Amino acid sequence: MPESSPIAAAGTLLQTSRRQRFRGRALQQSTPYALILPVLVVIGLVLGYPLYWLVKLSTERYGLFELIRHAGSSVGLHNYGSVLHDSVFWHTLVRTVVFTAVNVTATIVLGTLLALLLVRVSTVVRLLLSSGLVLVWSMPVVVAVQIFYWMTNFQNGVVNYVLTKLHAGNFFQHDWYATTFSQLGLVTVLIVWGALPFVVITLYAGLAQVPHDLVEAAEVDGARPWRIFLDITLPILRPILLILTSLSIIWDFGVFTQPYLLIGQSKITSGNYLMSIYLFEEGYFKSDFGRGAAISILMLLMVAALSVVYVRKMVRIGEAQ
Amino acid sequence: MKRRSIVALSIVAVVAAAVTAATSGATKKATASSITVWLQVDAQSGWPDVVAAASQKFQSDHSGTTVNVQYQNWGDHLQKFDATLAGGGGPDVIEMGNTEMTKYMAAGAFSALDKSTFENSSTWLKGLAASGAFGGKTYGVPYYAGSRVVTYRSDLFKKAGISKLPATTAQYMADAKKLLAKNKQKGFSPVYIAGTDWYVAMGFVFDYGGGIAQQVSGKWKGLLSSPKSLAGLAAYKSFYLATSRASKTTDETHPNPYDVYAQGEAASMIGPSWFSCCVGKKYTGATAQFVMPGHVKGQAIPGFLGGSDLAVPATSSSKALAADWIKDFTSAASEKALQAKGNIPNSTSLLGASVNERAAARSWFVPTAKHWVDVENGNILRNMLAQILTGKLSIRQAASSAGDNIASVLNQP
Amino acid sequence: MSARHRGRRARQAGWNTVGLAVFAVMVFPVFWMISTAFKSNDQIVSLKPTWFPLHPTLQHFGDAIHKPFFWADVKNSLVVVSVTVAISIVLAFLAAVALARYNFAGRKLFVVLVIGIQMLPQAGLIIPLYVVLARYHQVNALTGLIITYMTFVLPFSVWTLRGFLIGIPKELEEAAMVDGSTRLGVFMKILLPLMGPGLVATSVFAFITTWNEYIFARVLLSDQSKQTVTVWLSYFLGSSRHTDWGALMAASTLTAIPVVVFFLLVQRRIAFGLTAGAVRG
Repeated sequence: MPESSPIAAAGTLLQTSRRQRFRGRALQQSTPYALILPVLVVIGLVLGYPLYWLVKLSTERYGLFELIRHAGSSVGLHNYGSVLHDSVFWHTLVRTVVFTAVNVTATIVLGTLLALLLVRVSTVVRLLLSSGLVLVWSMPVVVAVQIFYWMTNFQNGVVNYVLTKLHAGNFFQHDWYATTFSQLGLVTVLIVWGALPFVVITLYAGLAQVPHDLVEAAEVDGARPWRIFLDITLPILRPILLILTSLSIIWDFGVFTQPYLLIGQSKITSGNYLMSIYLFEEGYFKSDFGRGAAISILMLLMVAALSVVYVRKMVRIGEAQ
Repeated sequence: MKRRSIVALSIVAVVAAAVTAATSGATKKATASSITVWLQVDAQSGWPDVVAAASQKFQSDHSGTTVNVQYQNWGDHLQKFDATLAGGGGPDVIEMGNTEMTKYMAAGAFSALDKSTFENSSTWLKGLAASGAFGGKTYGVPYYAGSRVVTYRSDLFKKAGISKLPATTAQYMADAKKLLAKNKQKGFSPVYIAGTDWYVAMGFVFDYGGGIAQQVSGKWKGLLSSPKSLAGLAAYKSFYLATSRASKTTDETHPNPYDVYAQGEAASMIGPSWFSCCVGKKYTGATAQFVMPGHVKGQAIPGFLGGSDLAVPATSSSKALAADWIKDFTSAASEKALQAKGNIPNSTSLLGASVNERAAARSWFVPTAKHWVDVENGNILRNMLAQILTGKLSIRQAASSAGDNIASVLNQP
Repeated sequence: MSARHRGRRARQAGWNTVGLAVFAVMVFPVFWMISTAFKSNDQIVSLKPTWFPLHPTLQHFGDAIHKPFFWADVKNSLVVVSVTVAISIVLAFLAAVALARYNFAGRKLFVVLVIGIQMLPQAGLIIPLYVVLARYHQVNALTGLIITYMTFVLPFSVWTLRGFLIGIPKELEEAAMVDGSTRLGVFMKILLPLMGPGLVATSVFAFITTWNEYIFARVLLSDQSKQTVTVWLSYFLGSSRHTDWGALMAASTLTAIPVVVFFLLVQRRIAFGLTAGAVRG
């Protein structure tokens, strides 16, 4: 928590509690390890070997033939080399980074606005809106994709129908899937729409930690809403916003189902790949599992690089405690 | 001590997690007296009784052996199959799409079968039997097939003054003009064809004597830019432009042609014969089918022969039992039951006279190359069609670049 | 005074209007799913959209429920999801406490691990995960799926709960400890109520993610009687033949019900957190 924390007053009590710290130091030192142990055990048991496998696979020639015989032949860093020399990889990377940036920004900005809105509306509207958000959230992705496709389809999409009726132009048989830009635009709408419920509800829960008295006091003092947001609300939301941002980066960078199903397998070409689709096409459809593993690990490095700023900030916030 | 409680809590949690993991560890391992069969979900919704009858027959011959049929989806069954090839626990019998077979046969995923032990194997449909053969051995037993036919609205045809079904593609195009004259609403297709429906488009190519690719002394060569193929592509382009108002860049499931038809927006459509199932209550009565004519009078256009094979994975521990189940499921009696559900049976000796079966008389199939699936997944043909129809590239340019592309994919090691 | 009061009410009405507009836009696709479930097949494909089915049909719901293994698979989903969420939230909370309240050697490493795991492309893990679970006979078993889900839910939950914990001033607990409360007492009396909204938000997330997860359930579970409801749903789309849209939409509507019920059961905690004024203490 930053120094300016509004509740820092409670810290005066801190002095007295220090004495207790000397007791049971050994036990205290082991406590955090005991606390993280269960999580470590589960993750280690389930993911330990697959991770090792993935790394090993990325250095092997491993196709369908090798898969059946459970034995690959080592090729060193050849898979990485072949991916890094593939111009499709670089184009896909740039496209995916831009796509991720747009999606994350839209998700976080709209999510924050909606969470703040949720605080301001009356109880009935709040319940309605939050139930609506959960409804959106509870829709299986496959079904959501289908509905979005229906709404935008060439032949009888509601969107074309409504736009034409509203005289926004002639959208009769407008093909929303004709260009890469338009395809990825639709995917963005679908993803942001699907991500908002989680972001809004989490931020709303975070807003519950904002001390009301403080906000009221500031309002009485005549502070502008924008200042109140910056000085009181934002500092408390910051850790949650950081988490949501980094999670969104991670998810949007690796998103697969929405673009794959909405654009449709038959329209997926190297000209509109996103990273995970590239992985799928190269690794699974071409049954080049070694190359697929190399792409997986490169993706891991890329997304780590993309989110490193946020992650470092988060770690630092934790340490300031 | 205060902290002790938290430590205790976490230990309890670990134990609880470990116990859940341990207690359930005892999963039933497949016993020797049970076989697992993977069929596509089409069978579950279309002909579960045929499956049950075959399993019953099998069990009466092998008492004590149970048959566990697990249904799969076309979209992801290969991924699941790949996982079982690596980790075990896979099926003893698997249904494969005929275009999916070659890659797996080449990799040694299936065990060879003795063709002569299967009923009617000497009269198996040629195209389907070829999809299950590799290196002179049989790995896949033909299960059923489906061809492509024209489904049409007889009421609209009559209203347009079409008294005789078209006998050539040119005649069909002329009829389309008449249909358009009587149905002036925007977006109406006399013949609905999705722009990138390569199954239809390649039919034109084969009709003109062209092809997709050919193996010449061990190397694949693209055939799309041959004069005959170019003539076929040109014929497709002019037919499409004259008859279909579908999106030039879309495929045959976005939207489903039968949905467009059910909206009253199409007088006919080209596709699998089961399209007639879903044309909407209003038009069911007036809907009939005919064989798509070719450019030469009296000759049907070659249709893509889609279908499924049954194979025994190399990882199966009950290969003989698995082969026996396939024998029961592809027996003449079983195939006749499949035929009754609107499928094409696996043998010419069983062929009837339905439109679907007549259309199968002249058919084409994809090149049986290990990497053909990559060509399909890479949408090389669809891309080419979109380029041709939208006019982005000339037919010759699009065909030659697609042909080179296909050759390089097929010639991968 | 009354002018100010009126201004406030006008503003509230304004916010409410905005809220309702957002609601309408957000919920439209859901509305479309539900209304499609009640439409006749002809209305579903019709060129002119049918906004409200005036003669709703229940046939699609009947078709959906009578599709084989509906109830068995709903039960499986409920088991998988509730066990996953319950264990994950407890374990994740413990780890989150460690991260937010203790400085220890290896802390950074653990943070990196927790974040790193989420960055793994799941598609790359399908086969290796299957291989390792098959080795311990955990394929085609709900337990195998549960521990798989836990590995994905845990890092996320640790991460989010840690964020909520950081938002709670440490001084509050310490003050209580000085007052003579035990650590457990502090936990029960102070941390848990304050964490309410965070725990709820996290478990709603865990619930929905696991309820809707498809690809691992598909690959790991083979018997139709052992599958989850999303896999059951996929059978509507998996055929090479035509899809029964009405039944699919009806089925999707049905499978959304448990999620909504779960949320309604716990949402009070979020609202409570707000009205109680979490840190007002």
